[in-house]
Amino acid sequence: MRSRQLFSQTNSDTRIGLYVAIPFVLFMGLFLIYPTVAIVGSALSPGESGFSLIGLGNALSGSYRQGFLNSTALAATTALIGGVLGLTLAAIMRSLDRPRWLHSTLDSWSAVASQLGGVPLAFAFIAAIGTQGLLTKLFGQLGIDINDFGISPTGFWGLVVVYLYFQIPLMFLVSLPALNGLRKTWREAAALMGASPTRYWLRVGIPILAPAALGGMLLLFVNSFAAYATAYVLDPGGALVPLQIRFLLQGNVISGEEDLGYAIVTWVIALLLASLFLLTYLQRRTLRWTRS
Amino acid sequence: MTKVFKWGFLIVLALFFVVPLLAMARFAFQSVPVALLTGETWLKGWSIDPIIAASTEPAMWTAARTSALLAVFTIILTLVLLLPLAIVTEIKAPRMRPWLTALTLLPWVVPPIALVVGVSVTFRTGAPWFLASVFSLVPFYALWAMPFTYRALDAGLQAISARTLYEAARSTGASFPTIILRVILPNMKASIVAAAALTTALVLGEFAFASLLLKETLPTFMVNFQQSQARAGLALALIILIFTALAIGIVVRTLRRRGLNVQTTGL
Repeated sequence: MRSRQLFSQTNSDTRIGLYVAIPFVLFMGLFLIYPTVAIVGSALSPGESGFSLIGLGNALSGSYRQGFLNSTALAATTALIGGVLGLTLAAIMRSLDRPRWLHSTLDSWSAVASQLGGVPLAFAFIAAIGTQGLLTKLFGQLGIDINDFGISPTGFWGLVVVYLYFQIPLMFLVSLPALNGLRKTWREAAALMGASPTRYWLRVGIPILAPAALGGMLLLFVNSFAAYATAYVLDPGGALVPLQIRFLLQGNVISGEEDLGYAIVTWVIALLLASLFLLTYLQRRTLRWTRS
Repeated sequence: MTKVFKWGFLIVLALFFVVPLLAMARFAFQSVPVALLTGETWLKGWSIDPIIAASTEPAMWTAARTSALLAVFTIILTLVLLLPLAIVTEIKAPRMRPWLTALTLLPWVVPPIALVVGVSVTFRTGAPWFLASVFSLVPFYALWAMPFTYRALDAGLQAISARTLYEAARSTGASFPTIILRVILPNMKASIVAAAALTTALVLGEFAFASLLLKETLPTFMVNFQQSQARAGLALALIILIFTALAIGIVVRTLRRRGLNVQTTGL
């Protein structure tokens, strides 16, 4: 009797939940699911001539292949460098108790800077390392031309430098909880059993940190792969995937190219979706140790 | 790690973060061209005229007003869509929670350009007036901010143990609306403020959607304005940067004071 009552109670509660979810589901359907399905659908049937994978193939050939290669190289480079620097920053901050103000300042600053992609950031770097930039001039007076190192806001390494501005703080933010999950007692326990610090890191520290670090870098990868505003302001004609999609879909070229745009979008969605699944898996691995 | 390495690393990183901003400020507020900067001239030519030039530009105020309205409407839409859902899910239908967590992450997967194209294909035939209005950006922004806003609200519910509060209030005889209005919502103030401030920061800085839909918001105005008036454009960018930083700073402080741990990361 009691269990039955409990059951019907749960049932009606779930029904209330579903009612409240209706506007949300409609909204998501109209503005997210339907557009996405429409795009993937047209990518899979180019020219409305039935199912075909030709479009998807075309999207990975010629200059579009180059776009994917450029975007992937940029995203991977900034994820790797930003990941290592962000992790180092987190490790340093964890080992420093004083000054206290540095911790709160850096926490807040990272939350701000990790969101600072976009127009103002691009402007700031043009003012710093552009042809008329302050740093360009400063190094020039020392006899160093930073353009020799490929560092101008429109070059590959210049973009890397600009992206690192939001990638390093982002990595710092995501790796801090994982580093805090490494408990002092584990280190002491390892030492008591005669493990050297190296052995402790190889056997305990790194295996526990690895999912968090990899997950963080994956987040960084996605973050810079999809970044649009910064790249657009710095180099609108650049051969990066988001800019190429814009070019194809904004009617700048002869019609019929839209299918190609849809196909590139489909690849990007597939890539980001795969990253999201991998990220969720890595986060679950991470949570095992950070939940206390 | 030695102390020298640690502090060296921190100082280099601090320079990396501060110098571009200083360079931008110098470019905006000092009229001396970089080529003429020397020991004698670096104190000359500073003025706040660019701010005045930017703030007397009527188009700037139109764009700013648009961005502010967009932020307000996006916050309203976000709260209407997510707040009741998050509350009911937490106290009545916890089985929906994993679904909601996954669904609210999805906007993260579809790049802005794809959403814009998909939605405009959908609406062009049925409701062309929709894309003509500047407020067609609102649903995009609500969608785009959702991974953050939902997490902020959800973290608030988790932190106050909403289900326990709900059961305690019900066992003392409170009706459902009373519980929501007088128990749950007052306790969620911090996370609602956080969600709103996050939305504001995102809307103030958002460029991709506005540029693709050819709408004049503050960021898209800024890009055009900077091309005609370089220094005033940079001054404006700096001011917006500071506003955004303040908005996010409010989020971080409010949440930390409540001991909430919200992912403000990603995107």
